[in-house]
Amino acid sequence: MARRPRSKKTTASQRPRRLGATRRKVGEGLRRGWGIIRHWPWLRILLVSAAVSILYVAYLDYHVRHQFEGKRWALPAHVYARPLELFPGLVLSQTEFREELRLLGYRLNYQPIEPGSFSAQGDQVFLTTRPFTFWDGAEPMRHLKLVFQSNRINEIIDTETGTVVNLLRMDPVFIGGIYPRHHEDRILIKLDEAPPLLLTALLVMEDRNFPDHFGVDPKAIARALLANLRAGSTVQGGSTLTQQLVKNFFLDNRRTLWRKLKEAIMAILLEAHYSKNEILEAYLNEVYLGQDGSRAIHGFGLASRFYFDKPIQQLNTAEVATLVALVRGPTYYSPHRFPKRLLDRRNLVLQTLVEQGFLDAALANQVKQAALGISPNTPGILTHYPAFVDLVRRQLRQDYREEDLTSEGLRIFTSLDPLVQQRTETSLRQISELDKRYHQNGALEGAAVVTNVTTGEVQAMVGGRDIRFAGFNRALDAVRPVGSLLKPFIYLTALQQPDKYNWLSHIEDTSISIKAQHGEVWTPKNYDLQEHGDVTFITALSHSYNLAAVRLGMTLGFEPIEGNLKRLGFQRDIPSYPSTLLGAAEMSPFEVAQMYETLASGGFQTPLRAIREVLTVNGKPLQRFPIRVQQTLEAEPIQVLNSGLMQVVQQGTGSRLMNMLPAGLLVAGKTGTTDDLRDSWFAGYSADHAAVVWLGRDDNQPTGLTGASGALPVWGELFAGLPTQSLQLVGDDKVEYHWVLPDGRPSHDGCKGAMQLGFLHGTAPVGQEVCETRSP
Amino acid sequence: MQFLRLVLLGLVIAGLVSCASVSNNGPGSEGYSVGESVIPGTVIKPPDETSPPVRLLLAQARQASQDGQLSSAESYLERALRIEPRNAVLWNYIAKTYLYQARYSQAAGMASKSNSLAPADKVLQADNWRIIAQARAQSGDSAGARLAERRAAEYSSP
Repeated sequence: MARRPRSKKTTASQRPRRLGATRRKVGEGLRRGWGIIRHWPWLRILLVSAAVSILYVAYLDYHVRHQFEGKRWALPAHVYARPLELFPGLVLSQTEFREELRLLGYRLNYQPIEPGSFSAQGDQVFLTTRPFTFWDGAEPMRHLKLVFQSNRINEIIDTETGTVVNLLRMDPVFIGGIYPRHHEDRILIKLDEAPPLLLTALLVMEDRNFPDHFGVDPKAIARALLANLRAGSTVQGGSTLTQQLVKNFFLDNRRTLWRKLKEAIMAILLEAHYSKNEILEAYLNEVYLGQDGSRAIHGFGLASRFYFDKPIQQLNTAEVATLVALVRGPTYYSPHRFPKRLLDRRNLVLQTLVEQGFLDAALANQVKQAALGISPNTPGILTHYPAFVDLVRRQLRQDYREEDLTSEGLRIFTSLDPLVQQRTETSLRQISELDKRYHQNGALEGAAVVTNVTTGEVQAMVGGRDIRFAGFNRALDAVRPVGSLLKPFIYLTALQQPDKYNWLSHIEDTSISIKAQHGEVWTPKNYDLQEHGDVTFITALSHSYNLAAVRLGMTLGFEPIEGNLKRLGFQRDIPSYPSTLLGAAEMSPFEVAQMYETLASGGFQTPLRAIREVLTVNGKPLQRFPIRVQQTLEAEPIQVLNSGLMQVVQQGTGSRLMNMLPAGLLVAGKTGTTDDLRDSWFAGYSADHAAVVWLGRDDNQPTGLTGASGALPVWGELFAGLPTQSLQLVGDDKVEYHWVLPDGRPSHDGCKGAMQLGFLHGTAPVGQEVCETRSP
Repeated sequence: MQFLRLVLLGLVIAGLVSCASVSNNGPGSEGYSVGESVIPGTVIKPPDETSPPVRLLLAQARQASQDGQLSSAESYLERALRIEPRNAVLWNYIAKTYLYQARYSQAAGMASKSNSLAPADKVLQADNWRIIAQARAQSGDSAGARLAERRAAEYSSP
């Protein structure tokens, strides 16, 4: 490589001389400078102070940026419900749709042209959707007309183009965030999630020059100073929002001049580093808005939940004004201690908005009449669905680190169906009534899990009687004896041997004593303490006879039954005692839901899942949790078993359901009751949904409830309101369905006592059909 | 210079390895389009009663698969499945997207499910058994694969 020629040649003798000359010059300059400082000592003081000030400002700069970044980047994962897919023909009433809109925070407007607004006229709903980015692409904003007819969507029209819409995906309901432990008292919101009126009112009341000042507003300070001088005390503040934000960062309420100066410097520094939008967003999430015992309420997101028990997007004008009123002093304007003061200030906010031209005077006058409307409920909850979000968090922890979940702003798309969840919650409210009727003194608890049979997705989950309380999640963690819920699996094990057994096989329902471990003798009893003698399998199952089930279980052996439990999706080992057969085995409602889900889907095991997709904070696809299906049990014996479980509901221990469900809705299920009536269970399914309900007490004391008197009515109320399809008995080349009488004689449809049961080809009873009495 | 050459060689090898792992995602993943049978050139059609929203999602799934976006295709198909859970063809389509992404055991599971929903549809049964056969073969279960091939042949015979 050729070397570049030097532009100027320097010889070795020249270089030291030149350097020496420079050094001499610098030395002379310094000496002269020191001389000046020696002669003018004040300059020395000035320079030292300047250096100290620069260092101090640098220190403040580091400090305030550190605070700001710390708050800004800790973005919790956002958890969303399933998006509602709308299409002509969908079973969805207008009431249900409007409930979905309410949960989404869509506003009722005469002219719904803004995204997130709607109006309704008779059987039509006009709306403008919000744009949203999903895993498989973005859904744009659309102006639509929906026509409802007999609890269905009849037509969807794009009102801009006049064209028919065949499919449309709404934005999903936000159901909560996943917060780090030390930050669990925040609901972070983004600037664009805040209602526009909130931002307007905040600026109008607190900092009108916010868009233009540099962190400090000298005019506002002068104005405040004048007002305070006139009044003789502090009546007005001159702090900008940026200064208030700094004040909130350091939680120091001393009103010293030095602190004010420090705040002002930090405010200017913040403005130098960050945009107005970033500062405003931080302010929204940081501002102190009240106290809940020892917990400080920071940010409008949490305050909205704390005071009004709803997400910020759903606040009305009066509520927005109340929160803005609180900014000036949550203690002085405490809604609980000084409601009148707060009401006056809220109305002042409304009046100021009118004066500044941001609010219609007539509307403001109307709004001013409204009460404060502070929620009396246990306030400050982070999610309306704590049990479900708990499940989401647990399933995510298998793939993500805790700190990623709480700081990366991941967007988690789940399978929660808010409408199904709402039905589940409403049904479980029966607990209060049952508690009273059975004198449980408020100790009766309950839990429920609802799944989609096809996909294994969890659509709803309730973890306790206090539905909004994020405490003990009984749906996942209450591991209790399951009673007769295991009986179907004993009969399944028999039905898997079609050459030996079918529904009409006989078994003795007579007393039995079994030597258990340690030489103890176990003598099970029937619930009615009777023996029923020689009975068919179907009679024994539908009436849940214990003695018959134990005898059959002992004949079949424990191992094949346990093998079936594993194939149904139960993952733990269970003790191989004879009493296990009668449900001494302990399981959680979630575990039971997994097993009944496998029954419902015909022997195909689908691991229950709550998460569909995970996107990054910017909406980029990160991970999908696809449907997984594995055939773990031969389909035909399951089909046969299902026909028996339908009989449990039609003629057996579950027959109370027949009065609760809509006529013609066929479901299958099983009651479960444990010793001394400590646990009340019902597990069952339709063609679309499977659900498990458990009722009991945390202290494991008797409740007085059987499966049929406790969990069953809850389950029944739930399914009575679900848009769900009937189970159908369609024969094929392997399984056929026949009408029989309980004693095994062939019969036909419409005969009293006749039931339709599944048989493997060639195993059905033959002979003359009997019909002694027609059923009414 | 020798060092530079070594680094370059390393980079080339790394590139080749990564290319290989990208393209090796199942039998015939190149140009797979949702709706195609496992047998090249033949198509599994959705049943006539398939609803307009599902047809729309199928078109989107097909487009995504042609663009090589199998995970998007999967997402469209799952949405379709939630609308028509008992449409056996949808399960068959998903089974194939799994197969072409080398998720063999899941592919076989979905194909079995599809079979359970349409016991009388011979064309679909044959295609599902072929998916199961390929999935088994790719997972090293050659005996199981032969068995599945035989089942496929049974359904294919007139």
